[in-house]
Amino acid sequence: MSASGIAQLIVSGALMGLVYALVAYGFSLTYSTSKSINFGQGVLVMFSAFCSLTLLNVGVPYWLMVPLGLGIGALLGLFVERAAVRLALEQKSEGWILLTIILGLLGFSVAENIWGRDDRPFPTPLPTESVQILGVSISPMEISVAVGVFAVMGLIELFKRKALLGKAFEAVSADRDAAELMGVSATRTVMLSYALSGGVAAMAGILVSPITTVGPTLGSVLVLKAFSVAVVAGLDSGFGVVLVGMCLGSLESLTSFYVGSGWREAPGLVLLILALAVRPTGVFGKATIRKV
Amino acid sequence: MKKVLIGALVFGIIATQAFAADTIKIAITGPFSGGSAPMGASMRDGAKLAIAEINAAGGISVGGKKMKFDVIERDDEAKNERGALIAQELASMNGLSGVIGTVNTGVCMAGDKHLQEKGITKIICPAAGSASMTQWSKAGVKDLSIFRFAAHDGIQSAMVVEEAINRKFTKVALFYDSTNYGVSGRDDMLDQIKKQGNKLEVVASEKWNIGDKDMTAQLLRAKSAGAQAILIWGIGPELAAVSNGMAKIGMKVPLIGGWPLSMSNYVENAGKNGNGTLMPQTFIEEPITPRIKAFIDAYHKAYNVKQIPSPVSAAQGYDAVYIFAAAVKQAQSTDTKKIKEALEDLKEPVKGVIATWVHPYSKWDPANEETHEAFRREQTVMGMVKDGRVVFSSNADRQRIIKDETAPKGK
Repeated sequence: MSASGIAQLIVSGALMGLVYALVAYGFSLTYSTSKSINFGQGVLVMFSAFCSLTLLNVGVPYWLMVPLGLGIGALLGLFVERAAVRLALEQKSEGWILLTIILGLLGFSVAENIWGRDDRPFPTPLPTESVQILGVSISPMEISVAVGVFAVMGLIELFKRKALLGKAFEAVSADRDAAELMGVSATRTVMLSYALSGGVAAMAGILVSPITTVGPTLGSVLVLKAFSVAVVAGLDSGFGVVLVGMCLGSLESLTSFYVGSGWREAPGLVLLILALAVRPTGVFGKATIRKV
Repeated sequence: MKKVLIGALVFGIIATQAFAADTIKIAITGPFSGGSAPMGASMRDGAKLAIAEINAAGGISVGGKKMKFDVIERDDEAKNERGALIAQELASMNGLSGVIGTVNTGVCMAGDKHLQEKGITKIICPAAGSASMTQWSKAGVKDLSIFRFAAHDGIQSAMVVEEAINRKFTKVALFYDSTNYGVSGRDDMLDQIKKQGNKLEVVASEKWNIGDKDMTAQLLRAKSAGAQAILIWGIGPELAAVSNGMAKIGMKVPLIGGWPLSMSNYVENAGKNGNGTLMPQTFIEEPITPRIKAFIDAYHKAYNVKQIPSPVSAAQGYDAVYIFAAAVKQAQSTDTKKIKEALEDLKEPVKGVIATWVHPYSKWDPANEETHEAFRREQTVMGMVKDGRVVFSSNADRQRIIKDETAPKGK
């Protein structure tokens, strides 16, 4: 195998890994504010992708569809927060686990009934001819995935560090009670984090759909990988998920090339087990001391 | 309210009994919703087209009385458990003459035993998996009421391997999905490579899971091993991911595989990267003879479409009804057991849209499933994807079908 072949494997895998990272980032957004995650995140990705496809089909131009699609994702995120998370959090119960799973299942059957079980192509304005960069062929859609993922994550991280509302976000992640005492509404901040998380899911859907096609099962594979990424990186790490996502993606390609295509899923699972056994807070996670 | 309900029920019973006396009750089952719906609905619509034609001509004369077909439709949603329930319902239905349908081999496996138990005649159409017929030979059933009207996987894999040999390839890669269908397809292909003289060397054997959309690693393995063609067995949009991945890494070798490559979820999702892909077909939507043109036009008009969603399923559904009708006519009865006997020994050739069927079935022999299989290699052609449609890959096939229509020959 030539060097360019290996480079091709690593690059293709890493670009797929970026999508896992973006979905995983959706987990870490809500985890940092409320210590809860939406187990139906994959359904959110699929549902927003279907909504965006419907927008395109009724004649909305692509560049207008992107913000609208993100908006739909954010609304769906808010809906999840209101329907499945808020009450459970107020009662300090773990009910959100079951509720988000149930909402996910519900969303899945709703999507099946509205759009059918067929996978459909998702149009993109990008050319389909792949370009050669240092002997590695990359399709323009893959480049758009990389650009989109970094843009969205960069913007949100910037927002968290610079904007006032963003600082509230950080404050609630650091200490919910202290932030409340300082006049920051924790409920609003959690709402915001779910809206952002929904928007991120929608972005992942819009970016990955031209490559994978849209079908009800779009999110199911993604969300499992994303979960591995989030846990391995640490649920409260921001950019850590990017690094872990890219590594996992390349590892998957390399494994299926050198070991065999049946072993493709193995590295993700091995990493997950290792992380849980050796570093439960994740590679980039902060070890927090829980004061009693 | 209760009285009305009982009244309606009683009326219903009387009405169906009165109905049953002078109609031929036939059930059409298949997935009319969900992922396999293009096949199920096309099969149903093709079958109903044939039934409408027969009914419009006054029906079939049975015992001196003209009888029309009465259709019962059931949607199995491609779910095995639904299929089993439907089969149970049909098996206990009064005066049912026969069943046509089923797209998914799993549904056949779940449901057909109920029909066989009661001796209800069924023509499987268009499920192609080998298991739906081999289950009966393995069980050593002596008397079988299940027939098949589809080019089964055995024929298809033989054609795929033959095509690769004819194109003078020596090194091929096998690609398959991890479902039952994919894995048994790989075994069929390996079998055929051996049977056809070991002329192909398998340089890579690659698998993917349902949902995988990045095939770069598998394709690079095939490419670096020097594969001249990819022989592929799988179902669903992952097939399109293979074609799109080939375009990405600049791998220009033909893709040859089972008939799911003709379905819209491959053809549409692969777009122009799908051009040149080859797969066995029993029917191609090209109006090359007056008979085929009449069928295509009638289908387009009746269902208001420009393209048949699954032409193979539609044509097979259509021909299956005509074969069934011929059996009713020969049996001079609507009794399902008599129809079965007639099917096993059809005296008159049946003119269909795929071919003229001369004695398509014979008495069931557990040692030879072909006795209840209508299709042979001759009724199957190679199709090729071209700009979003499936066309003939070789002109010889096209000419043969034109010739066949003017001079039908036995098999």
